[in-house]
Amino acid sequence: MKRNAITIVIGVMLVVIFALLLFVFQVRQSEVAIVTTFEKPTAQPYEKPGAYFKWPWPIQKVYKFDQRIQNFEDKFSQTLTADNNNLIVTIYTGWQISDAKSFYPKFQGSVPAAQRILEGMLRSAQNAVIGKHNLSDFVNADPKELKFDAIENEIKAVVQSGLSTNDYGIQIEFLGFKKIELPASVTETVFDRMKNERQKLISKTENEGKAEAQIIESAADRQAAETIANADAAATRIRGEGEAAAAMVLPVFQQNPALANYLLRIDALKQSLNQRATLIFDERTPPFDLFLNFPTNAPSR
Amino acid sequence: MSPEHEHDHEPHPTPVTPDDAGSQALAEALRSSFAIVKIAMLLMVVAFFGSGGFKVRQQEKAVILRFGKPVGEGQKILLGAGWYWSYPYPIDEVVKIPITEIQSVDSTMGWYAMTHEQEVLYKTTGVEPPAGPLNPAADGYALTADRNIIHTRATLYYHIADPMRYVFTFETASNTVQNELNNALLYTAARFNVDDILTRDVAGFQDAVLQRVNDLTERDQLGIVIDNCQVQSIAPRQLQDVFNLVTTTRENRNKLLNDAHSYESQVLIHAGAQAKSIIDTASADRTRFVESITAEAKRFNDLLPKYESNPNLFAQQAYLQAVGQVLTNAEKWIQPTAENGKSREVRLMLNREPPAPKTAPANP
Repeated sequence: MKRNAITIVIGVMLVVIFALLLFVFQVRQSEVAIVTTFEKPTAQPYEKPGAYFKWPWPIQKVYKFDQRIQNFEDKFSQTLTADNNNLIVTIYTGWQISDAKSFYPKFQGSVPAAQRILEGMLRSAQNAVIGKHNLSDFVNADPKELKFDAIENEIKAVVQSGLSTNDYGIQIEFLGFKKIELPASVTETVFDRMKNERQKLISKTENEGKAEAQIIESAADRQAAETIANADAAATRIRGEGEAAAAMVLPVFQQNPALANYLLRIDALKQSLNQRATLIFDERTPPFDLFLNFPTNAPSR
Repeated sequence: MSPEHEHDHEPHPTPVTPDDAGSQALAEALRSSFAIVKIAMLLMVVAFFGSGGFKVRQQEKAVILRFGKPVGEGQKILLGAGWYWSYPYPIDEVVKIPITEIQSVDSTMGWYAMTHEQEVLYKTTGVEPPAGPLNPAADGYALTADRNIIHTRATLYYHIADPMRYVFTFETASNTVQNELNNALLYTAARFNVDDILTRDVAGFQDAVLQRVNDLTERDQLGIVIDNCQVQSIAPRQLQDVFNLVTTTRENRNKLLNDAHSYESQVLIHAGAQAKSIIDTASADRTRFVESITAEAKRFNDLLPKYESNPNLFAQQAYLQAVGQVLTNAEKWIQPTAENGKSREVRLMLNREPPAPKTAPANP
């Protein structure tokens, strides 16, 4: 009866597998499941992953939802700021089913239906919040004036409170701007203004450059002149020192001023007739007076 | 179902007694085909359990979900590189997560619209598509703090640090990362002036974008670590010429300043050299002056006794010696005294430049 035993075991296994398929359902990690009994949701959704018991169809049915954070972006839409600037804004959000029990009856588990509701709420929240702010709250070099984050948080709070009031079972995890743009006609004027600013910048840069270069050059000239003037002063001082040193020697000459005077004249003579001089003498000038008294050369009377 | 098959049919061939060669051959064929079916079933069972084996590669982590629930606790949920076995679906499900592999996302929301061909052309040759007015539906851009329009785009490189969170908390975490990169570009551009983004502080802008993405991904606990962020920003194509002109003007200004600085150093070096030469000359003059006067004093002291012994003789000697010395160098004319004792009239033709002495100049 060995053959029969195997057959029975196999048969039992098949029955067990079939029963499991009918009576057991899995909730995957990150999923949430709603079980309905005759189309009425049971008390608690199954949020923890694992295998659970259910009655087979058509008594109970299982609906599973992704509990992870899902991305949603609205289509760009035009919004007026408080100072009447038209902004074209695109917002992205991360949302998540926080309460499957509320979510299921509202949308019959349809994510696109939920996103349609979300889009509408985003748009009205965006209009309401942006309408309270000036353009300078969106773009500003001063971190204290920039309210970018604050605006995002305000929109998020408005959307979240709308979702909570209607008990949609949806939670917004994060929300931010994806695009902030201007209408095409406005970009043209922005381009004109930018061009204007560039041209101003160009002429400013040119003029500044010239002025700075001039400042540098004239400072250099002044400094050079100063350096030379200082050197001249130093030179005068040095020469003065020399003269002072010479003055110490002067008493030597005072021993006989006549000799000193005579020697100076001799030196002056030597110096002045050093070269390229033509001298015209008459015979009485020594040493040519030798010619006068020379017997053979006596002038005829 | 197949086992039942076996149960139904296998006993049949045994009672049949082969009465002719034909039916014997049939029975033989049936027996062998049942053997083949048995082997096939065995193989299927082996394959069913064998299919549970899987390999986790070096750069991956894997999670086994048993009835949808991760197997293990804490860090043990994540399986490192190696071979593993799991029950086949639907009992177990293996989720593999690339953990060390660098992931990247691009943000082009701040760039003008390009067709695929234009994009390829731009990336390979840098040729930009023709510029038209910006269409908010298609073209992207960012507004700067000084309300200029620029195009900016970025590529973010990251790797997954917390695989459980990255995979099981976010539907498509990479999309979220991308949107946060978009937001970071927009936000950072809104804080920077156009010149800082494009020229003056390109690195600062990139760092600020990186900082913002980092803040956002940490706030939302995306479970990633950012490795790098590359940002590229350009002026709108419509204004490219005038922006280029600004750059040229800046370069010209720098050149002007460089020229001024080189003029400055040249003038200062020259002045320094001149000053040094003035001072050196003065010092040399001083030395020479002092030395010559000292030498003269010495000569005076030497000559004084001779002079005092006979002043007239000394004076004549000194005079003649000096004149003799002078006359060797000078051109000289000797004019005889007139017979009547009167002076003669002498006419001289003076060159502006007196002729060079014929003899070599002697040292004084």
